[in-house]
Amino acid sequence: MIAVSKTPLSTPFYVAKAIGAFDETCVSVKFDEVVGGQRAFAKVMSGEVDFGTSSDSVIAFQSLANKAFVTHAMFVQSDNDVKLITRASAKINSTMDLKGKEIGVTHGTASEYFLSTLLALEGLTTEDVELYHYKPEQLVNGFINKDIDAFLPWEPFGFQSAQLLNGQIEIHKTKGLNTLSFNLISVTADNLLVEKAKCVIQGLSIAMDYIASHPKESKQIVMDELKLTAEFIDWVWSDYIFKLGLNQSLMLSVESQAIWAVATQMTKFKEVPNIEHFIDSRAMLQVMPNAVNIPQ
Amino acid sequence: MNISLLQRIFFFTLGCCFLFILLLGSVIWSSQAIELAFSRNNYAQQLTNQTNTLKQLVANDNIYGNNYSINDWQTLEVKLTALLKSSPKLTEQQQTIQNSLQNQNESLKSLFILINKNKLKNASEIIKKHLKAKLMTQLEAIRSDALHLSAIAQKDIYNTIKKQALLIISVSAVSILALLFGSFTLTSIVRKSLNEVKNAFEKNHCGDYQNIQLSHHSQEFDSIADAFNTMNKKLSESTISLTEMKKIVDERTHVLEQLSKTDPLTKVANRRALFERANMEFSRAMRSKNKLTLLLLDCDFFKNVNDEFGHLFGDELLIHICNICGQEIRDIDFLARYGGEEFIIVLPNCDIAGGIETANRIQNSLARHCVAIEGKKVCVTLSIGISMLSERHQNLDQLINDADRAMYLAKENGRNRIEVLPALNLH
Repeated sequence: MIAVSKTPLSTPFYVAKAIGAFDETCVSVKFDEVVGGQRAFAKVMSGEVDFGTSSDSVIAFQSLANKAFVTHAMFVQSDNDVKLITRASAKINSTMDLKGKEIGVTHGTASEYFLSTLLALEGLTTEDVELYHYKPEQLVNGFINKDIDAFLPWEPFGFQSAQLLNGQIEIHKTKGLNTLSFNLISVTADNLLVEKAKCVIQGLSIAMDYIASHPKESKQIVMDELKLTAEFIDWVWSDYIFKLGLNQSLMLSVESQAIWAVATQMTKFKEVPNIEHFIDSRAMLQVMPNAVNIPQ
Repeated sequence: MNISLLQRIFFFTLGCCFLFILLLGSVIWSSQAIELAFSRNNYAQQLTNQTNTLKQLVANDNIYGNNYSINDWQTLEVKLTALLKSSPKLTEQQQTIQNSLQNQNESLKSLFILINKNKLKNASEIIKKHLKAKLMTQLEAIRSDALHLSAIAQKDIYNTIKKQALLIISVSAVSILALLFGSFTLTSIVRKSLNEVKNAFEKNHCGDYQNIQLSHHSQEFDSIADAFNTMNKKLSESTISLTEMKKIVDERTHVLEQLSKTDPLTKVANRRALFERANMEFSRAMRSKNKLTLLLLDCDFFKNVNDEFGHLFGDELLIHICNICGQEIRDIDFLARYGGEEFIIVLPNCDIAGGIETANRIQNSLARHCVAIEGKKVCVTLSIGISMLSERHQNLDQLINDADRAMYLAKENGRNRIEVLPALNLH
């Protein structure tokens, strides 16, 4: 059982299922679709599911709580998934203009982390703005209700907001400023779980090859699965890189986000744990050893 | 389809050329594939090195310093971007990583520009540290991708070499087999055809005029076979006439021989044949000490018969006498016309008594069988002289001479009788 975040970032899972890639491996796979990596994480920790899909930001925030989980593999990255959307009438032309504004984020996720990074680039912190926490799908409601002037949703909520509030909003060009990755996680794994993870990764690997050689068909699979329009898929597809890996940059990214969260007091925790504890390379080493690049 | 030998050789040569080109092509293609695999690995390693250099630069330099010059950064970054644009042709899997590399590089540039824009003058050390860590993370992401690409490329080199080696070995094996088959077939056709022609010549030499039956048809050997078969046909025709000619000549010779030994009137052996046979029997009797008896028969009053009834009747009478004699003698006995109305009968292994008995039988039979002419019965008699081989006979003439004397004795003693020349000391 895998808790899959309902986003095109989970394309490898949907494709793997659609082309029967999991059937070729050793597990029967069932999906539990959730909204956001945070909920997927929660389901993993509660034991409802074996695996979940979470962004590196969620991993960073949860590592601070020293929860007993591990990351098995990264399967997608996007450098434009979380977007800064502001009210057109608020005349926010640069990040500097965010100072003192009411901004909506999803707490403990890439959404919150990205805002703090954007602010940091201008020498600001979250203290300089008024933060409002929403569930990912409710961010836009806060905006409609005029509780907030800006929000940072991930896809597909960014696209839905753009469709819904066409003309009333401005989407800032932030591509490249925050690379987000989605990862396969589970509770701290015993041998059996590693074996299961290996099977899931094998299925994902087959799906990756299929996505690379059949992008058109893969898009169609995700569109059918998530009831998305071709317009939306085209909107996000070019930002996505589907590849399996488990490397140093993920660790660095998680670590720097964790340190950042502690330093900026986004979390109540004060200690940044050793990130290596949250990485389990055993499954990946069996399936794709050359995509693993972490200190052993 | 009848293909000429020349055409076969031409096709074989053409096939050899084609296989050679195929082999050459596969070698060239393989070397290009291997070269490409190496160039991918080389590219990935260059990327790794370039990123490492950038990482060192960012780690060591104080990018927030007022005097910080971005020239070094820009030079390296431009190099990295140029390198990323100069990628060799990649596999689908490698292309995914290449796309990731390009995206990461764009992110890196955006981030660096933003950080460098205002040097984060208002920012705290924590922010500065965090953003630098972010920059390093971004660089690490590029380095990880480059390492991943390198690992794939290295594996690809191994697979490519293995695949290409297999391809070249397969193509070589197929080529060698095809060439062997082609040359074997060609040699076998020529050898078989030559053997068939040679065998045909040998058979021809032995007089067995058989056509060449080629087991493999080729225009050249077919034309040889046609020419040979035509020649053979003519030869066999002319050779058949020679055989027949020989047969005819043999038959004619046999007839002539018969004629030369036969009396034309009575059809019994003539004088020449008599001496030939009698000499042979004389010699045999002398050698084996066997008995040999001669009867010399002479028709009584033959001249009168001729005068009275004409020569034609006389001839008929002689034939009649011969017929009677022929009926009364044994198979081994030999009857011949000695002259005019005289006959000699050679009796091998026969003594005087036997000769007398034979002579008596002839006389009796002749007496019983007369010849009719113009309503009259004409009966003739024979005076018969008998001689038997004895020690005093040195040659056949002496033996005949004795028989002759005995016959004259019979004439003198009244005709139609038998006289024996007293033969003493008979062995």
